[in-house]
Order: sequence, then C-alpha cells, then structure tokens
Amino acid sequence: MTSTEAGAQPALPGGRASRPAPRGHLPADPASAAPPAAPTPARASAARRAGAWRAAATPWLFQTPVLASLAVWVYGPLVFTGVLSLLDWDLLSPHPRFVGIENYRTLVEEPEFGNAVLRTGYYVLTLLPFATVVPMALAIMLWKRPGRASSLYRSLLFLPVMLAPVGYALSWRFVLDPLGGVVNETFGAVGLPQRDWLGDPTWALPAITVITAAKFVAMHMLLYGAALSGVDRRSLDAARVDGATEWEITRHLVVPQLGRTTALLAFLCAVFAGQWTFTNIVVLTEGGPDYTTDNVYYRLYEYAFTYFDVGTGAAAAMTIIAGLALVFVVANLPRRRRATG
Amino acid sequence: MRLRGRLVPALVAVAGLLAAAACGGTGGDDTTAASTSGAVADKPVTITFLSYNYGTPGLGGKGTQALLDAFNKEHPNITVKPQGVKVADVLTRLKTDTVAGSPPDVAQVGWSKVAEAVRTLPVVPVQKAAPADEWSQHIAGISPTIMKAVTLDGVVSAMPYTLSIPEIVINVDLFKAAGLDPANPPKTLDEVKAAGLAIKKATGKEGAYISIVDSGKSDYLTQSVVASGGGSLVGSGGSVTLDQKPAADALAAVAGLTSSGAMPKVDATTALGAFNKGELGMIISSTAVLSSVQAAAAGKFEIATASFPQIITGKPARPTFSGAGLAILAKDPDRQRAAWEFIKFLTSDAGFEIIAAQMGYLPLRETVATKLADDPTVKLLKPALTQLPNVTPYTFFPGENANKAVVTLQDEAIEPIVLRGADPAGTLSSVAGEIRKLVG
Repeated sequence: MTSTEAGAQPALPGGRASRPAPRGHLPADPASAAPPAAPTPARASAARRAGAWRAAATPWLFQTPVLASLAVWVYGPLVFTGVLSLLDWDLLSPHPRFVGIENYRTLVEEPEFGNAVLRTGYYVLTLLPFATVVPMALAIMLWKRPGRASSLYRSLLFLPVMLAPVGYALSWRFVLDPLGGVVNETFGAVGLPQRDWLGDPTWALPAITVITAAKFVAMHMLLYGAALSGVDRRSLDAARVDGATEWEITRHLVVPQLGRTTALLAFLCAVFAGQWTFTNIVVLTEGGPDYTTDNVYYRLYEYAFTYFDVGTGAAAAMTIIAGLALVFVVANLPRRRRATG
Repeated sequence: MRLRGRLVPALVAVAGLLAAAACGGTGGDDTTAASTSGAVADKPVTITFLSYNYGTPGLGGKGTQALLDAFNKEHPNITVKPQGVKVADVLTRLKTDTVAGSPPDVAQVGWSKVAEAVRTLPVVPVQKAAPADEWSQHIAGISPTIMKAVTLDGVVSAMPYTLSIPEIVINVDLFKAAGLDPANPPKTLDEVKAAGLAIKKATGKEGAYISIVDSGKSDYLTQSVVASGGGSLVGSGGSVTLDQKPAADALAAVAGLTSSGAMPKVDATTALGAFNKGELGMIISSTAVLSSVQAAAAGKFEIATASFPQIITGKPARPTFSGAGLAILAKDPDRQRAAWEFIKFLTSDAGFEIIAAQMGYLPLRETVATKLADDPTVKLLKPALTQLPNVTPYTFFPGENANKAVVTLQDEAIEPIVLRGADPAGTLSSVAGEIRKLVG
C-alpha cells in the first residue's frame, strides 16, 4: 500500500472515521484531540496505519475471553484429539508412534465399532417418539388443565431428570432383577414369562431404551411446557365457541404451533441419545450381552480408558464428531432452503 | 486490504490461544519432580493408598479402615491417605494418575490386572523396595505355595494381600429342606448339579450357581474350572491354549449346570443377591463374599462351606486364587521406604488377623489361621485353607493387552457358553484366535 493510496482511504475502515463521536465522549485518539498541526506525509501515514490496526484489533480484543474459552475448552482439545487419532499411544509410553489413518482403518475393520454405530442409530430411532410425541402429549394435557394437580404431575414426571444418573440406573437394576425383581415378580403373578431383562440379548436393548426414554420424556415435557406458554389460550376459547372438539383444537391449533420445538427436540434426541444411554450401559450392561446394548460413546470409553488404545479412542471421537456435524447439517438444510427459497 | 487488516490480528490471536491451550497439557510432568523432593527419612512421611475396598459400605471397607487405624497407631510418623476406586477401574485410575504425574504410592491391584500393571506402569517390585534381610524375615511365615505362585519373572512385584480361593457356600436350611446332608456336601460338579436340582424341586428356590461370569471381569473361576479339567488358558511358553479339549470339556460341564436347570442364567452379582436373600441353595465363589453373606444370613438362615469341587469327576480340583496384591509406585526413596513399612504391616500377623476375621480373605500366615481357628469367619474359610497347598498359580496372558484378553475371554466365550448355551469348542476356538491376535 502506497502513501498516496492510503491517503485516499478514510482514516478508519468501515466509514467509522466519518461518524461523529458520541456526545460527551472524547475522541478515541488523543492525537486527534490536539490542535490541528501540519503532519509530515510519513507521520500521517504511520498514524493512519496504527489507527487502522487499532480499529481492526478492537473487536477481536472484546472477543478474546470467548475465543480463549473456545480455544482452551473446545478447539484446542479437538485439534489435540485429531492429532491423537493419528498416533499409536497407550497414554504412558514416552514416544507415541505416528500411524496415519491406521486407527480409522481399525474402526472400519473391527466389527465392534460398526455394531456400536448401528446400535446408536437404533437408540436414536426408538427414542425419537419418547423425545417428541410422548412428552408433547403429556405437556399439552398438563397445559390444558392448569392447577395444583397438574403441577404435582409435572414434578413427578420430571423426577428422572432430577435423580443422580448412576443412582437412577442402579434403581433399575433392582426393578429388573431376574431373581426377585419387581417386574419379574409381577409377571410371575399374572402368569407371564419371567426374563433376565438385562442379560438376555433379545431384551437388553429394549430395556436400556425404555430406561433412557423416561429421562427424555421428563426433560422434553418441560421444554414443550415452555413452548406452550407462548400459545394464546384465547384462540382455543374462540375455537371452542366455534364448536371445535378438543381433539380438533389440539390437532389443528396447538400442535402446529409446536412444530419448531419438535424439530429442535428431535435434533437434540439425535445428539443426546448416545450420551444419555451411556450411563445406563455402564451401570447395567457394560455393552453386553454379546455387545447388543453397545453404543459409540461406550465403545470410545472402552478403547481409551479400559484398553488404553488412545489412538483408536480418539479416532472414534473424531468419527462421532463428524457424524454429529452431518446430523447438524441435515437438520439445518430445510431452514436454509426456506431462507434462500 | 480491509480484510487483511482484520484477518492478521485475528490469526495472531487465535494462534496464540491455541498455543496456550496446547501448552496447558504439558504441565503435569513437573508435579512428579516436585513430589519426589519430599520427605526425609527421619521426618513424618505422607503416602497415598489406592484401594478398591476403601470407602465401600460393606465389611471390606470397614476392614480396610480398621487396617489403616491400626497402622496409624503403630506408625504415627507415616500418614496414609486412602483413595477409593471401583474394582474394575483400578488400572484406568493408575494409568491416568501416572500420566498426570501423581500415581498413588501404594495400590491394591486385582490379581487379574497385576501383570498388565507391572508391564505398563512404573511399579517398583515390592521385593526390591524392601531391604533383603527384612524381606526374607517377613515372608518366612507366609504360605510358600502362595509366595511361589505370585512370583512373576523371578521376582515378587505385588505383595499377596487380600487373597482368596473359591469354595462352595451352602444355605444349610435349603439343603436340609431338600433332604440333603450339609455335613456331606458335594465334592464334584455332578453332585452340585444333582443337589441343585433336588433343592429346586423340593423348595421352588434356585439350586446352585458357579460365579464364573464374574462382574469384575476377572477370570479366576474360569482358570479354576479349566485347570481342574486338566487344561490351561496359557501354556508354559506363553502360548494361548484355551481352545484345547480339556478347557472345552470343563466349560461344557459348567454349561451343563445351566442347561439342566440346576443353575439360573444370571450374572454373579444377581446370583449373590439371590443367595443373600435365601433364594439360592449353593454358590461357588471367592471367599471374599463370606463377609456379606454372613451379614445377610444372620438370623435368617444358616450357612456352611465346602471345598471347590472336582469339575470332571475323578480329576483333582485345582482352584487358583483371586483377590489383590499390593504394588508400590512411589518414586521417592523415603516414600518407598514408608510404602514398604505400610505393606509390611498389612501383611503381618496383625494385618492378616483383620483381613481374615473382618474381610473374609485368607489368613496367609499359618500362625494367624491357628490363632483365629474359632473365629466364625475363619471357620468358614477352613475348606479353602485346606486347599491352599494345592493351589494353581494364576496365569497371565503375555504382552501389554493381558487385561483386554481376559475381558474378551469373559465377554465373548465364558458368558455365551455358560449362560446362553453357545457351543464350547467352537466359541473357544474363535475367541482363542481373537486373543492370539491381541497378545501376539
């Protein structure tokens, strides 16, 4: 940039230089407050460059605390994980070995990770109704009948979220105990077959799904309740006056207004299904029997912290991040289409 | 131009932040250097003790606290800071603590994980941490079979601490209700099956259970069963031999218990819970369960014990041991010395008195077994103590993936064979191939 070109530009980018200073505020640059002098072209150019730098740096400085947090807690570890995924390392040896994409190849070749991906997909699909339809129905019912009883039901239904996750999972161990658990005792009393719910490959996966579903229902019912607070009850009264039935009101008046919330909660289900099943898997089945209750988070944990194959664990983590990014893009496609269409 | 003017400072800021983030991960190494400059021999020393019994609500936790209190009284200049950990997470915790630069000075390591701990962690063999004369004097009273069995590559790396041998624990009331004689307990697996079926038929309760599908992913009962069938998991040269006929036959015999209906198809934790509620006639398990069983049975039903049975009738029972050893990870000489003093106390007469009477593990010193012969818990340990001279050494898979091999064996072979009727020979053959790939 020549001094001539610089001289042709405004002193601050973005037209800020031409903006008057707010009333009562001194100009930012003390030099500009001094009586006007006749600077040499070189000094004027340097001052303009310094001003330009300052102006460019100011917004970044304001963002520094957030950027620092992101770098330390998100992008730093992400880069670190990406590097780890290319190494053969057990956390302890002083000289990790660079293996390129070998860890990713291991993930593809070992049947366990592919199985874990499929199982995670199963969890997402089967939990989806418990993350959308069921909590929506409960929230609408409670919203339509406000009062003490409604508040009490809401509190009781919210209980699975309030309980410590490990304690909650452990309580299910007693409920589903094959020898004397509440479920089997009840089944036995009414003549139904008793099962080892968590030890039978056919039933363990549905059992973990149901246990996790209670948490989704509880949490998402609360979020639907928040969304319903924005719905104008007078429109319902108007519909009733016009002779609409309760089902018609719910179907054509309330549910359409919850569309965006439902899309968001379905997306959250896709993201959290794996994470929320993790605790139940650790406490109740350890991925078994025969890997039927496994998911990608538990497999990652096993690679990294049970077998200390840090590289494969990191490769699994990067694969999960890529998968979630894909889910995010797919979830946002309709919105983008609407915005551009 | 304007873009470049904004981009350059932005890139500088981001690069600086990433560098700061990257530097954040490397500070841990300094902690070790700082900690090693610690105590001097004649000054008070503080050591850390990682224990999976410490802090647990059962008698194992109380017994560990009693050991710590007794040691504190005898050695006021050595402070032991205990740390609790879940039994299956001991290796994980040791490795992460070592990476963070602050491993515990002494750790209670489950025997199935000792080999991997010694091979991958900076474990100072306890035999080398102890002065030679003190070592020979200390181990003089401990069962020589056990000392020989725990010697790994010519040296004792972890001190035998809370060890046990599997035995049969019997619900005397259910035994009598089925017309069986508790004074004449089963001696073979066939007799266990017959007694289990008799109990089930007469009382409607569950019959017998062998805790081979271990919840802590230990293979001590797998090894006991396979060795009693005349086989082994690992050959003398370190080769994987678990797919040979004796191993398959032994596991087929155990699977016969479940297929006959004498044994419920559940995991070991569920079976122990059922036994404690008086819903199971017999359980073949580590003696470590005795403390909880005694507490649960008090006032409700009577219990008795019997020796580990023959798995194949006519072949001698050859149980191996389970439990834990004590490993030293202290780097500083003063802390190593304090760690040895601590281990010496825990495995002394005074220590084993607490371990046997309060925690249900074997008194590895004969003097203690004799002194506490009338103690109710030690009485129940007697069948295991009689088998102590014939104990089979616990064998480790070779290499650094020893623990992964054990978990693979338990999850992919033992559980499907015993609980779900998988074909023993075929399953063992495929899992053996997998384990060979793991251990090289």
